[in-house]
Amino acid sequence: MWPVQDEKYIPEGVEETCSSTCTPANVKYNIRFVPGGYYFPGIAPAGIGQPNKGFYEVAAAYENLHPDTKITFCDAMARREYLVTQLSSSKAPDILNVNVEDVWPDVQKNWYVPLDNYLNNPNPYIPQGKPGSVQWWDMFKFQAISRGKLAPNGKMYCISYDMIETAIYYNKNIFKKVGVKIPKNWDEYEEIMTKIRKAGYTPIQTVVTIYSDWGIDLFLDQLYYNILPGIDLVKDPVREKYLQGYLDWDEVCFLFKKGFFTRYDKRYRELWKLLKRFRKFSNKDIATEDMIRGFVRGDAAMIWSSNLISYRFKADKDIDFDWGVFYLPKFTTNTTKYASGVDMCVIGGSGAQFEISNSAFSDTGDPKTSERLKRVVDFMQFITVPDQYRKVVNERPLLVPNIKGVETLPLLKPFEKILHRRYTTTKWTYTFDLKFSDILERMLLLYLDDYISLDEWIEWQEKNLESAYRRFTRKKHPDFAAMEKEWQRLAPIRKNYIDMPELPDKN
Amino acid sequence: MADKKDKPFISYKLRGALVCYSIIIIPILLLGLFTYLPVFWAFQKSFYDFEIGGISHFVGLSHYIEYFTTDPTTYISLVNMAFFTLFAVVVRLSLPLIVAKLIISIQSERWRHFYRILFLAPIVVPGVATMLIWGGMIYSSQGLINEFLRLIGLGNYTHAWLANPGTALIAVAMVGFPFIGGFEVLIYYAGLSGIPESVNEAALLEGCVGIRKFFLIDIPMVLSQLKLILILTVIAGIQGFEGLIILTSGGPGYRTTVPGLMMYFNAFSFQRFGYACAVGVILFVLIFTLTIINFKFFKSAEELQATK
Repeated sequence: MWPVQDEKYIPEGVEETCSSTCTPANVKYNIRFVPGGYYFPGIAPAGIGQPNKGFYEVAAAYENLHPDTKITFCDAMARREYLVTQLSSSKAPDILNVNVEDVWPDVQKNWYVPLDNYLNNPNPYIPQGKPGSVQWWDMFKFQAISRGKLAPNGKMYCISYDMIETAIYYNKNIFKKVGVKIPKNWDEYEEIMTKIRKAGYTPIQTVVTIYSDWGIDLFLDQLYYNILPGIDLVKDPVREKYLQGYLDWDEVCFLFKKGFFTRYDKRYRELWKLLKRFRKFSNKDIATEDMIRGFVRGDAAMIWSSNLISYRFKADKDIDFDWGVFYLPKFTTNTTKYASGVDMCVIGGSGAQFEISNSAFSDTGDPKTSERLKRVVDFMQFITVPDQYRKVVNERPLLVPNIKGVETLPLLKPFEKILHRRYTTTKWTYTFDLKFSDILERMLLLYLDDYISLDEWIEWQEKNLESAYRRFTRKKHPDFAAMEKEWQRLAPIRKNYIDMPELPDKN
Repeated sequence: MADKKDKPFISYKLRGALVCYSIIIIPILLLGLFTYLPVFWAFQKSFYDFEIGGISHFVGLSHYIEYFTTDPTTYISLVNMAFFTLFAVVVRLSLPLIVAKLIISIQSERWRHFYRILFLAPIVVPGVATMLIWGGMIYSSQGLINEFLRLIGLGNYTHAWLANPGTALIAVAMVGFPFIGGFEVLIYYAGLSGIPESVNEAALLEGCVGIRKFFLIDIPMVLSQLKLILILTVIAGIQGFEGLIILTSGGPGYRTTVPGLMMYFNAFSFQRFGYACAVGVILFVLIFTLTIINFKFFKSAEELQATK
């Protein structure tokens, strides 16, 4: 849910937003736009500083250019139940801000507009010779991450407006007191966490969702990256350029039937063991505890969080210690024999993801003939023009700009550096559907907190995968024959790998 | 001819019946439209992959097969449901009956009236409020139980009662403790009041008093009430999940999940309406079967009398 608008601020000369019922008569297009909590005009994110005015100014500039258009900012819930009811009745705002992975299950219902055609063509607001004058796509700084948001049906439903990345925040005073430095690899990291714990501090603050989302992706990438050439069976002609070796749901399904991600996959078992080993350095309650409090109070030496928290820490007058950030270090062969030896990949990515809903073409009911849709897309293109974009994204150091020509604010520079790394092998929790994620998240907590054993946990996940496998293959009919052919072709490569899963002989 | 002419086109008897039927037809239509039709619709949709706004695909028995073979939440949710239902049956068939017996044993009519009101009053508290009270004020980290444990020096035994997988199931089952406030007490009280005075006097003459009378006279005489409570408790135990959404959302893990809750999650959180319909149909069959068994094997006093 977006923050409550209790501190509305409207700059002089700018009219307050209103509902469609008070739309002036000369307005032909009333574009309803959900900018999200961090950019919503009139509120101060996290209660810090002056209320936002960036989007008010951008909307005013657009309305000046197009007097027949009015931009109405909407405070909408990102809850799926809300979206489903609104979208199924074509009552949703025209531009939504939803994680695009939550959009994918609904794309076949024509609730969202594919943006490929617009992204492949020029942004009309960009002068010749500048990025975006040939195709809108060129304006985006982080191409791999932005293009990685392609839906499984091969279409793009969002623009990645900005970037978010995670890092380990650390208390420099505690590090100095304990006599430890930023680790270069995972072994060193575990060593310093052990020392910190011996000194009476909690080494790191986390919550369970960190493990089920970021943790799995990073660890899985570290363990499987080296064997990707032998198991990456589908090379998407568009995405492969940006997402080398990315494992999509259909590949995961196929590999699952070959014994990967089951009890017979030793890497998979190692993944969970390592995740649990890491969890042991964390705060006792990862289910309900406010993880930030322990770090701010100086009880914990580190916290794993996103760049959003930098802004809050910087403004917090009660933080009486210096803090810094570093990224998680890579595994070595001492950590695990399956370590790929590559740096940890990116697991953050797109922050605000704007999608166009079916309301945008409500004038004709057909996106091909809708004039309204053209205007909505035009507005979306306008908000990515660097001069306009800067007013919004750089109003405060919350998120990393994703538009070329817009500088990153100093506080976010370390995160920008991380974002230039290679993208993750898979987004495990988003691989299938919401049911798959629900089972994963719920049961992982029990495993990490020792309520179920590794074998029980893996059995749950096998059942979860089997169930998801049946749902997805029944619905989407993936081309397993082509994958089998590729699997056979890659067999010589796999011979060089250790501990490939072997399914027991059914006879 | 005259007789034939005077004979009404529709007989008075039939006319009266038509009036009655025309009166009852409206509620029957409404019942059919809003109660039976959704049931048939759900039954039909259970054979389809069906999402709001999406195209339905016929999948045959796939949802039923998935539920019984690959859905990892099935077994644990059925076990939890059985536990909650059995627990509820035991406490709701026994404790309110004892309380009703105690009330009816009071000699003063005024005090009987007072206690009846006292035990009935909790009915007016909405179920959601009850759950919030238990979740927020009794089981929370600073709730009644933990604070009491700290007060008596047993701080080490404090728990996150609903978040701990070891205690969540029993903590949820204990909501409503001591299970003596409300509807069941009233039903049993009515049953005990209905025992003829002649039976009570005969028991007294035979020296059948106290606990002996309770087991040999009172319980057999309120079998109808016990049967009613049993059926309602079983139905509520299988269907109910609202309280679980408020208290635990079925967690931690799936330690307090029941099939009804999974039906809700599949429909409204996972957008798998067809699958949710299949779970609903399975629950319907289960309730129907148990109710039939109940009717067949659990005889009320009147039925036993008739059998003899």
